[in-house]
Amino acid sequence: MDINLSSEDLAFRDEVRSFFEENKIKSGEDYFSWRLGWFEKAREKGGWDVPKWPEKFGGPGWSPTQHYIWEQETAKANIPFDLPFGLGMLAPILMNYGNQEQQDRFLPDIRDRKVNWCQGYSEPGAGSDLANLKTKAVLSDDGTYYTVNGSKIWTTLAHVADWIFCLTRTDDSGIKQQGITFLLFPMKQEGIEVKPIITLGGSHTVNTVHFTDVKVPVENRIGEEGKGWTYAKGLLEHERTGLAGLSKSLVELEQLKDNARSIQRGNGNLMDNSSYRSKVGELEIDLLATEFTELRSLASAAAGGEPGPESSILKLKGTEIKQRIQKLTVEASGIYSSAWGDKGVGPSFAKGGTAGYLNSRYFTIYGGASEVQKDIVAKKVLGLTKGSSK
Amino acid sequence: MNFELSEEQKMIQQSVERFVQENYDLSNRIKISSEDPGFSKEYWSSMAELGWLGLVFSEEDGGFGGNQIDTLVLMEQFGKGLVLEPFLANVVLGGGSIKRGASKEIKDSIIPSLIDGSLQITLAYAEEQSRFDIEDVATAAREENSGFIINGKKSMVLNAESADKIVVVARTSGSQVDEEGITLFVVDADAEGIEKENFPTVDGLRASEIIFKDVKVESTSLIGEKDKGFSILQAVVNDAILALAAEAVGAMEVLYKDTVEYTQQREQFDHPLSDFQVLQHRMVDMFMEYEQCKSLLFRATMETVQDPSLSQRTVHALKHLIGKSGIFVGESAVQLHGGMGVTEELRIGHFFKRLLVIDSQFGNADFHLDKFTSL
Repeated sequence: MDINLSSEDLAFRDEVRSFFEENKIKSGEDYFSWRLGWFEKAREKGGWDVPKWPEKFGGPGWSPTQHYIWEQETAKANIPFDLPFGLGMLAPILMNYGNQEQQDRFLPDIRDRKVNWCQGYSEPGAGSDLANLKTKAVLSDDGTYYTVNGSKIWTTLAHVADWIFCLTRTDDSGIKQQGITFLLFPMKQEGIEVKPIITLGGSHTVNTVHFTDVKVPVENRIGEEGKGWTYAKGLLEHERTGLAGLSKSLVELEQLKDNARSIQRGNGNLMDNSSYRSKVGELEIDLLATEFTELRSLASAAAGGEPGPESSILKLKGTEIKQRIQKLTVEASGIYSSAWGDKGVGPSFAKGGTAGYLNSRYFTIYGGASEVQKDIVAKKVLGLTKGSSK
Repeated sequence: MNFELSEEQKMIQQSVERFVQENYDLSNRIKISSEDPGFSKEYWSSMAELGWLGLVFSEEDGGFGGNQIDTLVLMEQFGKGLVLEPFLANVVLGGGSIKRGASKEIKDSIIPSLIDGSLQITLAYAEEQSRFDIEDVATAAREENSGFIINGKKSMVLNAESADKIVVVARTSGSQVDEEGITLFVVDADAEGIEKENFPTVDGLRASEIIFKDVKVESTSLIGEKDKGFSILQAVVNDAILALAAEAVGAMEVLYKDTVEYTQQREQFDHPLSDFQVLQHRMVDMFMEYEQCKSLLFRATMETVQDPSLSQRTVHALKHLIGKSGIFVGESAVQLHGGMGVTEELRIGHFFKRLLVIDSQFGNADFHLDKFTSL
């Protein structure tokens, strides 16, 4: 064991830093053309536009340490926004279970950030119990297309998505994990209705999506009919690691401390207040530990392939940490935490701080609620069979 | 010792409960909150007619001679509907300041109109730098000729948008954080030199930032003695804490009961959510916090009615527990409702927001824990 970065890793870090520095957005530059140009240059670096993709599909083939360095540096630098749905969620499924034709058809557009994807998993009756889904897909008599009917909920950015990857039910005669089929289809077509859901923070990111007789050609099916659950499951574990967001939390923690220091109290500031400081301290200690849990998990993933059930710990701790940062921001805002809307009275971080906190309650619910995550850990890691997810 | 309400109090409790049931479903609340002035004038008149606005004023002032227990009865029920009408700002804050130290003339000019609902008042005490320290007052009132000139800025003033009168806390001597040297004045809300910036709050209510620029007030507008306003302010703030705690207890009751009901209906993994032990225990915790808050609310309120000079420590304890437990109950209700809990569509999110705001008003959980342990 050695905590020091090797000279190669240090060189890599410097290379990443100078890449970010050289490709910063210039004042007056159009954001969207800068964004596409940025990914173009990242691609020329040897797959830096798709860091998590395997080398076989054009990824950089980094070591776990290099991934960790990348995460850390991207959290600090001002790099263009990216969405996880196509790049991080669908792409691995296409690579593992899609046929050559599907890979050729969909992966390039995902890589070029040309097509926005959304994820059609949760349903009104299928939240934590995701396999309980009811959206029906019926194969036509001639076997050329499916007709999809049903509803999805919590579909992030469905209102701006071009395509959806969707879990549908083609057979309900067996156990509910069977008979699920994985389909891809365009969002902008007749029979698809997207309705916004406004969250407590007052924002519109998630939606309900209704399908009425949506026709999907069979060539848009991933893998075999009825095997969709198997394909999605590996992805969910992927998603659970990605949700920890620790590098970002480390940056936000420093921001939190700066914010608290800007609140003058007597001759000092809010960080001199013992109860507040203790909470920030406890948070930081948790973060220091969780950061290394993530590193250990990355290392074991590199040795053994897919991240295993231990990634559940990361989602549990990582999301809780994010919520605590938000809560402490609200507390730092003091009386101004109750101001709402655009007026923005009080310190600059108060504006939006409370909305951020309210929306952050979602972190321990989506991608598998914390209670379900703990059931998974109990069952798969501790080997306890009498869990609550029967 | 007796925890029974009087017959009159029981009648009021039932009447407020009915009012909330009939008028405060979620969609109606959202509608009222989104339209000016942010509450229903019709409901406000009804509250006046039912005598609720006069409950805690002395008979001499035209009220019914009630005390903080009557406010508790009202506010707990208000909390179950997230009532928007500005009872706290008018009766507890503005009216509470007037009744505690104003001259007979001022009382006569304000309290009867407040009780009949024709006049609105509020209290401007907090400032940008003061955070939760009510003695931290920079807004200055300078004596000049027969009156005072007020200059400064007040923050997060509730109901200022609708107020006809504002009780303003100003410094007449001493340094910025001295308890001595604080004076309360009542001013017309439209007096020359007053500038308001109005905005909504997280819980759907309204507040304002107010700038006082060379605002002239007569010395007859002074409440209590010059430089001695702190004890009035402290008593008013304590009453506000008791009132908000009662409202919070009402809100917590709705949250835990809604959660128990929802988890019995919602099925996942072929079982109602309420079958899962981990969720059952979380709901038991919510219930326990609610009951404990209610107990401490009764304790602090009864002690204050008995002798306010001896209840300060318990009031701090109460506000600490209400802040901490209120957020716990709110976060738990959201968690157990899953994704639906994080939307505007169910009422629990709105109750959670109100509890969050209550923690930020008159000192949060940390602030009162510090005060409690230092007394």
